[in-house]
Amino acid sequence: MNTKRKTANSFYFALLLLLSVIFLFPIYLVLMNSFKSKFNIVGTPFEFPNGETFVGIENYINGINSSGIIDAFLRTAFITVGSVIAIIIFTSMTAWYIVRVKSKFNKAIYYLFLFSMIVPFQMVMFTMTAVCIKLNLNNIFGIIPVYLGFGSGLSVFMFSGFVKGMPREIEEAAMIDGCSPLKTFFLVVFPILKPTAITVAILNAMWIWNDFLLPYLLLGTTDKTLSVAIQIAMQGAYGSIDWGGFMAMLVLAIIPIIVFYLICQKYIIKGVIDGAVKG
Amino acid sequence: MASISLKNIKKTYEDGVTVIDNLNLEIKDREFVILVGPSGCGKSTTLRMIAGLEEITEGELYIGSRLVNNVSPKDRDIAMVFQSYALYPHMSVYKNMAFGLKNRKTPKDEIDKKVRAAAKMLDIEKYLHRKPRALSGGQRQRVALGRAMVRDPAVFLLDEPLSNLDAKLRTEMRSRISMLHKELKTTFVYVTHDQTEAMTMGDRIVVMKDGVIMQNDTPQMLYNHPQNMFVAGFIGSPQMNFIECTVRRDKNGFHAVFEEYDYLLPERMNGPLSLYTDKEVIIGIRPEDMHSESFYFKPDGANTVNLHVDIAEMTGSDYFLFGTAGKKRIVAKISAAEEIKNDTVCKLAVDIDKIHIFDKISENLICD
Ligand SMILES: Nc1ncnc2c1ncn2[C@@H]1O[C@H](COP(=O)(O)OP(=O)(O)O)[C@@H](O)[C@H]1O
Ligand SMILES: [Mg+2]
Repeated sequence: MNTKRKTANSFYFALLLLLSVIFLFPIYLVLMNSFKSKFNIVGTPFEFPNGETFVGIENYINGINSSGIIDAFLRTAFITVGSVIAIIIFTSMTAWYIVRVKSKFNKAIYYLFLFSMIVPFQMVMFTMTAVCIKLNLNNIFGIIPVYLGFGSGLSVFMFSGFVKGMPREIEEAAMIDGCSPLKTFFLVVFPILKPTAITVAILNAMWIWNDFLLPYLLLGTTDKTLSVAIQIAMQGAYGSIDWGGFMAMLVLAIIPIIVFYLICQKYIIKGVIDGAVKG
Repeated sequence: MASISLKNIKKTYEDGVTVIDNLNLEIKDREFVILVGPSGCGKSTTLRMIAGLEEITEGELYIGSRLVNNVSPKDRDIAMVFQSYALYPHMSVYKNMAFGLKNRKTPKDEIDKKVRAAAKMLDIEKYLHRKPRALSGGQRQRVALGRAMVRDPAVFLLDEPLSNLDAKLRTEMRSRISMLHKELKTTFVYVTHDQTEAMTMGDRIVVMKDGVIMQNDTPQMLYNHPQNMFVAGFIGSPQMNFIECTVRRDKNGFHAVFEEYDYLLPERMNGPLSLYTDKEVIIGIRPEDMHSESFYFKPDGANTVNLHVDIAEMTGSDYFLFGTAGKKRIVAKISAAEEIKNDTVCKLAVDIDKIHIFDKISENLICD
């Protein structure tokens, strides 16, 4: 490697390191402050907890006890899991169908899905909220089909991309082996789609878990999700914010999705077709 | 047990291109039939229509005595081996083979018996628990065969099953598939673009070109009596030599005349050739029907050709001579008794008895 490339590389490394620090620093701040007493957080937010300011898990206990965060947690988990399962099942089948059955109508549907990725949520949110309330979708069950709608654009796009690269002969072999289309899908196609399904699951789980606007509009402050609960806690009762409990809630809100990501990431887009065809 | 009958079959793809038009073919029960032809001639399309994977635009397809145009693949009692093998990547070899039986609700112990018997026959018992990606190409190929075998189908369809294998494995699998056919006693329809596979494996060969059957015959008949120039050129390697000549008639009979050569043609050709006096025809001579002059014991030494040898390839027992006679390019295959050098002239005798004569315009056989 010549010196010019070396210099360039060290420069990029430094730049990326700086960016990483900028992104990670807020998380570090939250984590660190969640162990400090609530009076020290506001005064000296950047100081590491010491013997005097360290309060152990007191903030966590306070945070959990206040503000119905356990309910919010369960609600969010229910919505996320339900929506992700619905998205995976419906969009994978849709993608398989529109890729395999060639027609003008299917092509139009495909582009409609692509188009839905471009439309910003803010543009449709008020009309959509009104429609959803009319349709009685403003509860934790009703919000799942709404998430299915918002998640399907990207998911159909990703599944379609993968199905296009899948050799058709495998499905034909299944048909000859006695499978109906449904059986072909669930016994042969879906297992092959698994890595894509996991990628789609992670992407959707992350934004649905962290989403604020949609649950706030549809569920309001009665059926709070985690992000809504946190927001309300931060507004507090006229200035008396429990910053310690707040930090602890933030940490608790981040943990599940990170754990989910770590469990799944090894499956992301790993070639499973190897060995199916020639080679 | 099943015969297959294609009656006036037509296939037009969605893009409006007609790939096959008015195809008629009868395949007898237990026959090993080969569809052969250059890439893109519609072999796979034909096979896939028999399998039910491709809709038939027009015509009738019978398997046994049953009209199956609208019968789904799973109810046609067929099995298919794909060129790409198309194994289920997420299932073990055992499950790949058992899948079809399981879908048909075969009892578990019967499935086990059949899968193990097939695995034994194909020498893949050791790999039953492996996933396809942990197998070599040849092993995958055998799994694909096994998956088709266990179902005891009435018809076996194979689409270029050996074309992804290396030369040595291909030879081995060729005889394995031939043996399989003898043991299973079912109808085999085998697609290939490889004439060696076609000639060595089939009871009957169907040569196709642009969706049309050029000839449908036994390997011997195809080789010795090709009905047109396409078949004559397609079967045999190196290719048959085609030489344009003029037909002349004198008191001795008919002659084929080109450059400075004049061959008296066998008497049996007199009838068909009478319409071609003084007209141009194309004669076909297989490279192996030319001989080095000293080894050719025909009394008259008239049918000779002076071949200017550009390249002489020694294969051990034979020489392949690539050269020219006048302006015509000619390939000859002669016994390697004496040494032949590049850039020499070699006097060869043509076995005029084995000559084929084709019409120049229709390219169909006149006589042979
Ligand atoms: N799904 C399809 N849509 C349109 N044309 C096709 C399709 N499949 C095959 N063809 C065309 O049909 C012709 C015959 O194809 P095929 O039967 O696969 O040939 P072969 O197997 O003899 O090589 C080719 O010209 C090919 O381009
Ligand atoms: Mg083909």
